[in-house]
Amino acid sequence: MRPSAAALRVARRSARAHFSDPSKKRGLLVAFEGPDGSGKTTQRKLFKTWLKSEGYDVVTTKWNSSDLIKPIIKSRKAVRALSPEEFSLLHGADFRHRVEQIILPALWEGKLVIADRFLFTGLARDVARGLDLDWVLKLYQPLLWPDLVFYFAVSPITSGRRVTATRMPNFYEAGQDVTAVDDPVESYQRFIARVIREYESLALIFNMITVDAEQSIGDQHRQIRELFLEGQQRPWSPWNADAVAEWLAGRGEAR
Amino acid sequence: MTSPKARLVSVDGVDASAVIATARRAIDRPGRGGVSHWDASGIFQDLCVADAAAGAPSARTLLLLYAADLAFRLRWEIRPALAAGRRVVAAPYVDTAVAFGRAAGVPAGWLTNLFRFAPAAAERHFVTSVRGAAAGDGFVGLASERVHAVNRRARRKLVSGVAAHLRAQALRRARRSKR
Repeated sequence: MRPSAAALRVARRSARAHFSDPSKKRGLLVAFEGPDGSGKTTQRKLFKTWLKSEGYDVVTTKWNSSDLIKPIIKSRKAVRALSPEEFSLLHGADFRHRVEQIILPALWEGKLVIADRFLFTGLARDVARGLDLDWVLKLYQPLLWPDLVFYFAVSPITSGRRVTATRMPNFYEAGQDVTAVDDPVESYQRFIARVIREYESLALIFNMITVDAEQSIGDQHRQIRELFLEGQQRPWSPWNADAVAEWLAGRGEAR
Repeated sequence: MTSPKARLVSVDGVDASAVIATARRAIDRPGRGGVSHWDASGIFQDLCVADAAAGAPSARTLLLLYAADLAFRLRWEIRPALAAGRRVVAAPYVDTAVAFGRAAGVPAGWLTNLFRFAPAAAERHFVTSVRGAAAGDGFVGLASERVHAVNRRARRKLVSGVAAHLRAQALRRARRSKR
């Protein structure tokens, strides 16, 4: 059943009123982005512990983690059966499902959502695989913009050194589906250089907060706390009205 | 180079059994072509066994999965058949998914972008019967059941909406070919 234009208009108004109400603690979305080996998961965990100690109600969501889509992706990755388009579309589906099932409900309830990787991961990896940025970006519409995006910047050499220190990168992580290089470590070095190039462009375009991830863990954590305390005062972005309105309209119909 | 006999034919509709029957008739001679079926990748089969606690997927999520399945069919079935100079009938193809998206309220521009990777069919056929979909058959049946798991009335309305979009599309095609 199609939500009417009037229903969407009402939902948009309701979204704006809900997230702009100064009397309520509004939900916040903070994304941690960066290549593998940039230390963002370590920082995400430290940040979450600190937020909880400060009294925030925190929800975490990770890339490729929806209970519905993750098994579909995992089984296809295991047999190396995905083309760049299929890889992109399945990750887009996983993201959409998490936005609707985890992120938006938590934000609506005034919680703080930390996303360990957000749609920028899909953009950087898919474009590095040769897909068109415009096509990939539109797959993620209606777009939901985080209140803050921390980009953990490392060089391809540091990323490669940190990742290969403990394990061998897997087939897709190493980009072996597109580099045609047999050695996973060599393939990873080539592929991650492309991914980082895309990330750097995205960090500029989307105004991410760049964290020098070559610094010590403690220095990065202190910087993140300070930047968060400044950034959390930002008003709700009206660009998110469409994403929230579509979710609200769908939720109303599902009842 | 693709042979002049290579031809992509689409058959779209709500009634999965009728779509397959029409697709079989659309192959001129057996052995000279084949049918590319929905869910050749098994994505939707896997979705059916997923834990219900994972939450109901939205129309957009289901369309992204449909597109992933179509990308698989294009890579393994449709493009190789065309390259071998064969006639290939995609049943269903893009029109069924677009009609489902429009009936569910997904913007047309998003749908156009989503299926940008799929080549246009040289021949397009539409099946207008709606039997089967109500019982959860085919993409439209399964997707409607997933979007409206509890509300049967809403599910029936969605299926009728998809059928109405496809009928309108078929009419437009017929008018264009008359001109």
